[in-house]
Amino acid sequence: MTETKKINVKKAEDSDSFDLLEVESLVNQVGSKRSDLIPLLQAVQNHYHYLPEAVLRQICEITEITPADIIGVSTFYPQFRHQPAGEHSIRVCMGTACHVKGAERVLDAFHRHLKLRPGEDTDKDRLFTVEKIACLGCCTLAPVVQIDDVTYGHVLPSKVSDVLKDFLGKKTESSSAKKVGFKKITSKAEVRIGLGSCCQASGSGHVHESIQRELAEFDAVVSVKPVGCVGMCHQTPLMEIVLPDQPSILYARVQEQNVRQIIQKHFKPINPLQKIERATSRWLEDLYTDEAWEPVIRYAIDVRDKPVAAFLGRQKHITTEYCGVSDPVDLNEYQEKDGFTAAKKCLTELSPEAIVETVLSSGLRGRGGAGFPTGMKWKIVHEAVSDQKILICNCDEGDPGAFMDRMLLESYPYRVIEGMMIAAKAIGAHEGIFYIRAEYPLAVKRVKEALQRCEAAGILSDHSFDSDYVLHFSIQEGAGAFVCGEETALIASVEGRRGMPRFRPPFPAESGLNGRPTLINNCETFATVPWIFRNGAESFNHLGTDHSKGTKVFSLAGKVKRGGLIEVPMGISIREIVEDIGGGCADDKKFKAVQIGGPSGGCIPASLAHIPVDYEALTEAGAMMGSGGLVVLDETDCIVDIARYFLSFTQQQSCGKCTFCRIGTKRMLEILIRLCEGKAKKDDIQKLEKLADHVKSGSLCGLGKTAPNPVLSTLRYFRDELIAHAEGRCPAGKCKTLIQYKINDQCIGCTRCAQDCPVGAIPWTPYQVHEIDPERCIRCDTCRQVCPADAVEVG
Amino acid sequence: MIQLTINQQPLKVPKGTTLLKAAQQLGLNVPTLCYSEDLEKHTSCMVCVVEEIHSGKLLPACTALAEDGMAIDTESSLVIKARQSALDLLISEHVGDCEGPCQLICPAHMNIPLMLRQIVSGQFQAAVRTVRERIAIPAILGRICPAPCENGCRRKEVDDPVSICLLKRFAADTDLSSSNPKIPEKKPRSGKRAVIVGAGPAGLSAAYYLILMGHECTLIDDQSSAGGQLQTAVPEEILPKSVLEAEIAWIMKLGLKFQSKTRLGEQITLQKLQDQYDAVILTLGEVEPEIVESMGLEGSQRGIKINADTFETSLTGVFAGGNAVHPGKLAVRSSGHGWSIAQSVDQFLKGVPVTGPVKRFQSRIGRIQESEIPEFQKEGTSDPRQNPSGGIETGFTEAEAIREASRCLHCDCRKPETCKLRDYSEIYKVNAQRFKGEERFSVEKVKQSEDVIYEPGKCIKCGICVRITAKAGEKLGVTFTGRGFNVKVVVPFNESLSAGLEKTAADCIEACPTGALALVNSEERNQ
Repeated sequence: MTETKKINVKKAEDSDSFDLLEVESLVNQVGSKRSDLIPLLQAVQNHYHYLPEAVLRQICEITEITPADIIGVSTFYPQFRHQPAGEHSIRVCMGTACHVKGAERVLDAFHRHLKLRPGEDTDKDRLFTVEKIACLGCCTLAPVVQIDDVTYGHVLPSKVSDVLKDFLGKKTESSSAKKVGFKKITSKAEVRIGLGSCCQASGSGHVHESIQRELAEFDAVVSVKPVGCVGMCHQTPLMEIVLPDQPSILYARVQEQNVRQIIQKHFKPINPLQKIERATSRWLEDLYTDEAWEPVIRYAIDVRDKPVAAFLGRQKHITTEYCGVSDPVDLNEYQEKDGFTAAKKCLTELSPEAIVETVLSSGLRGRGGAGFPTGMKWKIVHEAVSDQKILICNCDEGDPGAFMDRMLLESYPYRVIEGMMIAAKAIGAHEGIFYIRAEYPLAVKRVKEALQRCEAAGILSDHSFDSDYVLHFSIQEGAGAFVCGEETALIASVEGRRGMPRFRPPFPAESGLNGRPTLINNCETFATVPWIFRNGAESFNHLGTDHSKGTKVFSLAGKVKRGGLIEVPMGISIREIVEDIGGGCADDKKFKAVQIGGPSGGCIPASLAHIPVDYEALTEAGAMMGSGGLVVLDETDCIVDIARYFLSFTQQQSCGKCTFCRIGTKRMLEILIRLCEGKAKKDDIQKLEKLADHVKSGSLCGLGKTAPNPVLSTLRYFRDELIAHAEGRCPAGKCKTLIQYKINDQCIGCTRCAQDCPVGAIPWTPYQVHEIDPERCIRCDTCRQVCPADAVEVG
Repeated sequence: MIQLTINQQPLKVPKGTTLLKAAQQLGLNVPTLCYSEDLEKHTSCMVCVVEEIHSGKLLPACTALAEDGMAIDTESSLVIKARQSALDLLISEHVGDCEGPCQLICPAHMNIPLMLRQIVSGQFQAAVRTVRERIAIPAILGRICPAPCENGCRRKEVDDPVSICLLKRFAADTDLSSSNPKIPEKKPRSGKRAVIVGAGPAGLSAAYYLILMGHECTLIDDQSSAGGQLQTAVPEEILPKSVLEAEIAWIMKLGLKFQSKTRLGEQITLQKLQDQYDAVILTLGEVEPEIVESMGLEGSQRGIKINADTFETSLTGVFAGGNAVHPGKLAVRSSGHGWSIAQSVDQFLKGVPVTGPVKRFQSRIGRIQESEIPEFQKEGTSDPRQNPSGGIETGFTEAEAIREASRCLHCDCRKPETCKLRDYSEIYKVNAQRFKGEERFSVEKVKQSEDVIYEPGKCIKCGICVRITAKAGEKLGVTFTGRGFNVKVVVPFNESLSAGLEKTAADCIEACPTGALALVNSEERNQ
């Protein structure tokens, strides 16, 4: 009793500054059951920007949620803060692509700029809070930083202050700018603007606004159509002009200030004055034609540009069908293009057995990573006896370097919904849940909108397609834990618990959410299903290899010329992807390896690039299909550093349950850090090998069991690099403590390095060869990047 | 019913039976840490793994269910290695000393912290019994020992070490001067006879412990009275003859035969002793190489060559220790040898393999950080080191002894015997260095309750307490916080331990597989 009193007293003290009525209203909106815990915490954090203790205590008082649950859960998920945050949050992406392009240095630069001491994340004015984020999924724009809802791509350490200035400027501007909605005007001419996350991060939102503004001044009836991802993320923002009976023209890397000229080139002005203006700017035209616009690309109708032909030619769009042509949330357009015909047929005509049979014979395997036969999974859930079955779409894409799920949800929400509807009928589920990462706000928004439209159209209702089939889908946002991609952890999370995996069997197919048979498939898997039903299992089965059928969507990023979202037939070789589609390494660097499968995968060396994309072949080679992240590495990338990077990722993402993963990955990481810092001990490589074996065989879940893969593949293909590090050398010149920056005789004495060096390690000596003080140098690479004479050497 | 084999024995179990239960049905032991019969499975420690032979997969026996056709091996080399590395990893982050540094450094391995706690609670007889478990001549050593233990004492980091040596003397003197000193109980007579040559600290100690073990002992010395160098090398003002004689007389009272003025090689030969006795113990002080050779023993540079674990010489049934194997001046070391020899000789006389004393697994914190001192200070009083008010000759009064002993910081674990982690670490030959981490967690002692102490550094995150409190419907309970390597068990909202464990403190302590949760006044002792 005394304790109860004490708790109450303490609460009373804390509550002064919080309006507990607001807490009650949040609870009323979200719910008071244990399974509402995560959405409830998200609502609290949205409201207060962190989780005040008094509020958490209040929630325990007025709901069935216990203090143990609320503390356990709120400290498990990285999304939640227990300390007040700054007004704006700077999220530095630590994804693979960003990592190889220097994300760590960007993070350091923000810390330096905001004068944060070690352990601090918020500046003293409480204006900004700097956070690391596993992956923003904008890999082609690496390094990427998100400040509140504004995403910046290609952020260099030297540009940090510009970025902040720009953000603070934008903030005041946007409050006055009028919002442009997705209004559709029926017309023959169309301006399509890519509004995927990559495009938006490159400024397509502003381009979109400019187009609307410009067109308002012209007489032509032109509709502006926001479209999903084209896949050519390396060229964003993309703007396409579609004119009746003419080849459409695609403009790449369009900036706000270019819009006027592009519009003027294709559409007639309204009044004479503007005609004159148009005439005078006519000379500008050359600048924006195919030859001069760098690079201007046409596709679809006239694929004559070589790189584009290569980028698109080897691809096969099934899951990403109609890429770049469809308005993601336009339900009518989706239906005009045969959308929902498969679902309708399944719901109204086909028996569950027939649906399962079709999926089985298509040979489709789970696209989430492990490649379990999809039809088999459906069959098990179908045959499970229960009065209630659950369907979950796993969109918790947390792999650094992967952004397929984000693109699919942003660009093809209806296709995923349709796949889920078919699955629901097959297994006998009436309830479906989208589990989407909270880091993908646009994806959440699009799916939400798509679901609303489906409900309004009666597609998702108590009588779907006028049948008796009751079907309702909802969205649950993840809270930033990679491990929740593991299905038992995902279920724990949906149930409002810490996302800790449990031993399988029983598999979720037998006993999942709240003990009910639960079908969990990746969103790419669902998005592939409608095509199979429209085109027949046979056509899908014809594509691919003996055991890996159909196509696979990859996010191609890293040191490749043309990165983006690609869909290729199974069986295509890694080399074809990297060299033909991706155009090889940028800057004429040598292709060294490709990291496939993210933290669960491995690095396949260039010498094995003939290996086909096939579940078994990739696993055999020590990598993994994974969810489809494909990061290209060149000769300047250090494989030991990459292994360290992935281990540090899995180690941070470990749920902390089983001994091998919790402590084993930590010890492995420590060894890798020692190697990268030249402090390795004599038997460290053997220890690393031993630990990798034990963690692989002894861990409880898939995350732990595959966590050693990046290390094992390094041991297998790049042992000499490990040995070099053990001897204190980094052959690629990447590991900070093993390298030194020097300025050679090429120096022209321009002083740019001295001006930009953030720590004053380069004395200002105009017209003389500059020198770097190795003691002060923090190896941020800024001098090398700014040097116009290539005089900075790393050795 | 499900049919499977475990260690090649076929068996049938009902559907839904775990592999652990199935193995237990065959009387097989599978180690577990995070498992508790009455609670939901957590499957985290992974020491219960067994191998499914067909798939070559490791399965956690506590959770994995028996399936038809499984072939389980609970002891395959893969299993043993996996368990060992799971334990290696758990120990690599374990911040705790199984035994106090003072005890580890004491050459006689005396349970110092326990003695100190017994003095604090006024159990002086119990204290002297604790001392005599390892030291046969505490009143003597209490006067001449250079006290290496005090060098290891952590209290040194705060101010000065606990005055261990004087406290030991206090316990011994109190006992010797009482009207009826407690004579320890002897085991039933074994009918075996041992002879000890040399009545110095090593010989006296060996004789003392062998007699208590039920063996008949004869002590031979070339002098007229026992004591060896204690008789001649220590000045009277340090070690009064009266104390020396009283303590030797006390040992003699146990029924020890003493044969004076008998010199090995002169009045009697080793060969003859071997013929007459079942075991011979050579504790004759420093010996010349020629003499070693003349007795037919293998020698080393320092004296008689022995097996360092068992104290066996090159001749079967002949043991040696003390300065005879390694000259030195530390009586406490010789005394420790005496105890160790007694263990080996006892094994030899019983006809079991001679392995010497059991070497228990020791988890060690090692050097502590300045920031950790306050945590240790929670355990002891803040008094400065006491000096006997009547001078060093008189030693501590009762009140002084209690006050001084209360300065102990309780570095030793409160669950040295029931700790499953220690047990398994011993069985699976854990090496704390194998996967040693870059840095360890800080020592933390959560003492917010009169009865319970929580040391997070010793927690293996098995979640048993988390599950117990949730099941019992504790208002606050305890919960995991954080993630990954930084997972920790805490009381929500930083409330006190007693608030978290209102109803379940006793259950949680009982079920905690390590010393992370323990009774503040645990009476569990090291064996």
